[in-house]
Amino acid sequence: MSGTMKTTLAAAVCAAFAGNAASAAERSPLPFVACPIVQDTPSVPCWITNYQGETYYLGIQSDVSAPFNPPSLGHKVLVEGSVKKGAPRICGGLVVDPVTVSIMPEMSPECDDMRQVDPRYVLPFEPPRPPGPSTGKLAFSYPAPPPPPQPPYKPMTFTVPYEFEGMVNFKTPRVLTPPLNYGRLTQAKHIEITGYRGATKLSDGTILAEHDGIAHARAEEIASMLKGAGLDKAHYVVTADEHPAIGGPDERRTVIKIVP
Amino acid sequence: MGGRQSWYWRQGIDKAVLALSLVCLAASATYGAAKQSDTPGTQGEVAGHVPDQLEQAQQTPASATKTGDGPPRWWAPGEGRTFPEFVEYGDPTGAVGLYNQGGAFKTAGHPFFEPLGRNGRACVSCHQPADGMGLSLRSIDERWKATGGKDPIFAAIDGSNCPSLPQGDPASHSLLLKRGLFRVFLPWPPKAADGSPIKPEFDIEVIRDPSGCNLDPKYGLKSANPMISVYRRPRVVSNMQYVLHRNFGIGAFVGKTGEPATRDPENGQPVNMNMMADARQPTLKTQAVEAAITHLQFDGVLSPDQLNRIQAFENQMYSAQVRSNEAGSLVEADGPSAFGPRNLAKGEKGVLGNNTTKWVFPVGDAWQKQKPGESDAEFAMRQSIIRGQKIFHFRTFWIKDSMYLNNVGLGNPVKRTCATCHGMHMTGMDTANGWMDIGTTNAPWAKEAPRNPWQTEDELMPLFKITCHKNVAPHPYLGRVIYTQDPGRALISGKCNDVGAIVMQQFRGLAARAPYFSNGSAANVRELIDYYDRRYNIQYSEQEKEDLEHFLESL
Repeated sequence: MSGTMKTTLAAAVCAAFAGNAASAAERSPLPFVACPIVQDTPSVPCWITNYQGETYYLGIQSDVSAPFNPPSLGHKVLVEGSVKKGAPRICGGLVVDPVTVSIMPEMSPECDDMRQVDPRYVLPFEPPRPPGPSTGKLAFSYPAPPPPPQPPYKPMTFTVPYEFEGMVNFKTPRVLTPPLNYGRLTQAKHIEITGYRGATKLSDGTILAEHDGIAHARAEEIASMLKGAGLDKAHYVVTADEHPAIGGPDERRTVIKIVP
Repeated sequence: MGGRQSWYWRQGIDKAVLALSLVCLAASATYGAAKQSDTPGTQGEVAGHVPDQLEQAQQTPASATKTGDGPPRWWAPGEGRTFPEFVEYGDPTGAVGLYNQGGAFKTAGHPFFEPLGRNGRACVSCHQPADGMGLSLRSIDERWKATGGKDPIFAAIDGSNCPSLPQGDPASHSLLLKRGLFRVFLPWPPKAADGSPIKPEFDIEVIRDPSGCNLDPKYGLKSANPMISVYRRPRVVSNMQYVLHRNFGIGAFVGKTGEPATRDPENGQPVNMNMMADARQPTLKTQAVEAAITHLQFDGVLSPDQLNRIQAFENQMYSAQVRSNEAGSLVEADGPSAFGPRNLAKGEKGVLGNNTTKWVFPVGDAWQKQKPGESDAEFAMRQSIIRGQKIFHFRTFWIKDSMYLNNVGLGNPVKRTCATCHGMHMTGMDTANGWMDIGTTNAPWAKEAPRNPWQTEDELMPLFKITCHKNVAPHPYLGRVIYTQDPGRALISGKCNDVGAIVMQQFRGLAARAPYFSNGSAANVRELIDYYDRRYNIQYSEQEKEDLEHFLESL
């Protein structure tokens, strides 16, 4: 089957499942907390979730370069973002795009829905990474890094984002490398690190706040990482704002200021 | 270093053995550039846990028994024979070959081959050429029988279940004799690089202690020098340029956890942390310093020259299977480029191979057609090996609840293949630095004799209960209470998420060095495959298992 035929067929199948995407989107059900579901397909598994009787598509399995961090069975997820208006359903779900998925830390053994291949669900695009060997490149390419700053060096700030209740994880090195490099380049003498605590207002009105103390823990952890990676000569000022700022993923952050 | 020196003094440790080591290392040309670090394992020449190990090693009686040279396949310490450029030894499925890229040399006086410490061992004692530079259960059994348990590998310090047990009684050496395991003793709580205790994220309780060592008043957790004893297989000292690469995936931070990578104390560069089961030592030299203390009971100071010679030897050795009893030679000139130690020496180091442009184990088209002179049996076995290679790369299954695989952006579960985790070109190791928990040491997956009325085998391994503190997130797959035979990396980091996480090993020369896994729980390659089949509900067919077995045994 040619690629074009495959795409056409996939689009037709998906169109059949499109349903009333637009009307569901108007209900603005996000953010919400629910169990994730893994739905296998003939190509790669996709991740969906059910909330208040509706199914939502979150993303697919790809590789570590993906901006989408897939959920974990055994844990609920906090889903933030918005339903993409007019988009055809994928894997039976309304498409949440943009989407931020946070894996809740406490275990939820009831979240154990693992669905085998359903031939009705054919992805309407070529998955960037098959389950087997890749084609020799990552599924997603990172933007090229900006050219190294030139003297005179000025103070620069960098932001480390987090999942809800998240700390440093496998994604952190990519965002922490630029401040590390800038600190090395400028032989930073002074580094200010401020941690923040976030809170999310769920669609049912519940306020979901990160635990008290996380802002401080985040700031301390980033400081220890920078020191451990070699920026151990600078003077560090580590502060935290434990007031839970209600908003989206942007409220969960640590800000690093490198002062040459 | 003032803090470290005062700490030694406070502990009453004799001197300066380690401080002198530092002085010697500092004399080397590059060491002056080394930076102090807050990262455990990187400050100075040894990690912060080593002084406590030294104290226990010095307290443990030792005698250097010269047992005479063994059969030609056994290298006894201090024999002084010549190490050739290439040598092969028979193993259960054919032969393993060793390619010494530096060329033949006399081992007399070489620190890898000489008995340096009080117990008569050398590095080569547990890194035997005939076992692909590891140590097989077969060799252990042969040495026990040949020497009546007097070979230095059975030394009380770690070749017995506990130094306090009556030495020479097979029951006192059961972990070595039955599973090929040596005792690894580590201080609890763990120590940072400056020797200060790390505050663990969990409490640890000894639930079962068949060896008696964890509860021993002199050597155990409640002794004056609190130690946890776990039992692990010696790792292969070969193909180390792959094991220690600084290529794909290695940077300032550990790719899987985000924490700062341990750094080489000589040059400050991050290392890949893939050498030891718990990544507790960064380089061949720092590992040699610790091993000389803990395994050889060496009370002296390894000189810069000795460390350089050990490092050079370990970096120039390549080992792999070269012959299959049924498939014939694996290293014909026109054969698959995955096989044999010379291909390993030529291969690209530290490259991700889980892709269609560079396979983990490339076999190409060499064995697609039966060649003149190739018997039907040989051809059939080669076809089976090729099928096994395809299963390794392409056969998908659901990987679930495996720490540092499922929580690093792939999702839990993830539908992938063997090559997903075992992705390093030519070795099947992980290219990125880090460790993983596939359940080999943690309940409910770790193998142990079940307690039921129908079995007579007693449990061999210790069992620890780990309770994660309430102020940290629970382990994502095991929760707040974890039962484990070996906490793995968590004994170094003190982190709840690291419990049972073990650095994966290379796949080369497998046939020469059974048993497998860090705790020796797979007696042969089939048991290894069966473990994965159970663990991940792969449902391999019998044919798939056979093919995979043949493939792995050809590496």
